Amino acid sequence: MSVFTRNDSKDNTIRPTTTDKPEVSVTTTTPEFNRAPQPVQPVSHLTPVQAASTSVISKALKITGQLESTENIQIDGEIEGDVRGVHVKVGQNAKVKGSVYGDEVELSGTVDGKIEAKKVVLTSSAHMSGDVIHQDITIQSGAYIAGHCRPEFGKTQSQPVLSRPKEVLPRV
Amino acid sequence: MPVSQRRTLVRPPLGRKDAELPTSHLGRALTIKGILDTEGELHVQGNVLGQINADRLVIGAEGYVEGDVIARDVRIVGRVKGRIFAYQVTLDSSADITGRVFHHLATVEKGAKIDGRMPWRPLNFFESFEQPPEAQT
Repeated sequence: MSVFTRNDSKDNTIRPTTTDKPEVSVTTTTPEFNRAPQPVQPVSHLTPVQAASTSVISKALKITGQLESTENIQIDGEIEGDVRGVHVKVGQNAKVKGSVYGDEVELSGTVDGKIEAKKVVLTSSAHMSGDVIHQDITIQSGAYIAGHCRPEFGKTQSQPVLSRPKEVLPRV
Repeated sequence: MPVSQRRTLVRPPLGRKDAELPTSHLGRALTIKGILDTEGELHVQGNVLGQINADRLVIGAEGYVEGDVIARDVRIVGRVKGRIFAYQVTLDSSADITGRVFHHLATVEKGAKIDGRMPWRPLNFFESFEQPPEAQT
């Protein structure tokens, strides 16, 4: 029984991917040491989904802070802060604690704050705690509103300012 | 999930199926100032000023993030100014990073711009990751 005899050819049957030379079969195993203990599924490749026209805040996402967009926003998650968009849709299980501004706001979820939009739609599952400032409002049967509905959109000077913030965060 | 209770960054979050955690997309016209928290996947094409906590994160070609990024798996195509804490990091050729990239497994494509350091950290650093340490001056 010699350790150094050429019986490594048995190894080749175990690892069929290796080439004929036994020397090669030894080196191919070495990168295994550098590998992580468990494989990680890679991040999905970036695909230009939806041409980036609508932002989707999925139900798995929670945001604490302000959102500002010059395009549409679909909210299914939880937001603590103000939302400014063009067409803002608050989904059935979404929660917004803050004000929602837009040209058009469709509410099916919960808003605790204010809605200010030219066109407001409160669907049957809407739960609105706070004032609604609008020009055109649709309220479906079943919608909950605790607050005033005032047709004063555009009359008060609190139009959303869609500007790019130029704040500097703490250095890193 | 509160930010303070970060789970491990080594394994995907347990007990949830991907179907329950739909991917979030932040369009290029969207600017968020604040903290983003998800156990699912997040794609950023817009601007985020603040902190991002995610399981999987893609910062798209037009994405810009200023602040701390904490995730298990990060792919950066766009720009980041701040710190990245991720078990696995992929920097594409168009990535532009200013700051530090704390990682365990990193892939950097040719052409990626990195202005800063890329400190490697052992598994246990990501295994019980809570909050990023305060920024050093």
